[in-house]
Amino acid sequence: MIDAYVDSLLGALRYDRSLARRLRREVEDHLWEAVAADPSEESHEAQRRAIAGFGDPRLIAAQFAAVSLQKQTRRTGLAVVLIAAGVYVTMKARVAWYALMECAIANDIAAVTQFVGSIDRYSFWLSVVIGVGCWAYSSRGRFQVSLGQKQRGLFRRFIFLCTAAAIALVVSVISDAVLTLLRLPKVDLSPEFLIPTLSMLCEVLGAGLLVYQIRATAQWAAITKSMLEAV
Amino acid sequence: MEGEMLKGHLDLIVLAALSGRPAHGYAVIEEIRRKSGQAFDLPEGTIYPALHRLEQAGLLVSRWETADSGRRRRVYTLTRRGRGALADRRAVWQRFSDAIGGLLGAEPLTRLP
Repeated sequence: MIDAYVDSLLGALRYDRSLARRLRREVEDHLWEAVAADPSEESHEAQRRAIAGFGDPRLIAAQFAAVSLQKQTRRTGLAVVLIAAGVYVTMKARVAWYALMECAIANDIAAVTQFVGSIDRYSFWLSVVIGVGCWAYSSRGRFQVSLGQKQRGLFRRFIFLCTAAAIALVVSVISDAVLTLLRLPKVDLSPEFLIPTLSMLCEVLGAGLLVYQIRATAQWAAITKSMLEAV
Repeated sequence: MEGEMLKGHLDLIVLAALSGRPAHGYAVIEEIRRKSGQAFDLPEGTIYPALHRLEQAGLLVSRWETADSGRRRRVYTLTRRGRGALADRRAVWQRFSDAIGGLLGAEPLTRLP
């Protein structure tokens, strides 16, 4: 009976596996302790009372979903800053590699690279500024468990900021990719080709990860909202 | 005690229950019942989202311990920040309680015509 109750409680939290794993042990321990403390001789009856005392699993799952959303929000805020920092380091490492290899830009494409380089710089720093804003916004802990009207407004603003930072970062990564393509020698397995290509792949992966994280947070918020409204 | 009223002060209640010594969820519930003279009879499960939320906020830390029964349980402890938060909330509550006490106790309520 207790196993079935715990399964029903944690089933709704399958999106946060680490929380669900930890909770299973905690809730099971709680319920078995309540059974042990129950004066009833009948185990089935004691389990039923322990479960009734624990409360509606939908309500508790909804409250946990909101707690998990707060954690997810903080992670997303931090991810925006960390991924932008990662892209910056990769970008600088690639430029240092070009300098080491004395890889110059051909004169006939200098104007294009200058233009794309400007887009790259501005969009990257824009993503950093917005990203720091996202991180500050999420770390202030203003997202409350209730997800009421005010919190929903704050959350929408947060997702909007994160999306803006991600778009700026994606533009920067695309510009980087264009610049890398313009500089690359012929396609082969030489370090001159592989190192810039691999560094570009890292940037693309980072940007993809950020988009995925923001999307997952928005989806989690929608699920949490529906869970809270259902109880 | 009104459920909605309790919900609004759940964090304060949990912090206060943990102020004496570290405890796991079941013991926190028992402590709340004991200290409140059985007045606060919350659905037991609602304590866990509050414990996790307070831990995320850095007001509590937790670790797994093995009980005498052999079961593993998560034990929560107030952090220094948690003690500070409890002191702050206690002061706010005291001011609020004094103000309400003054309003309700000092003068009889005026009946509206």
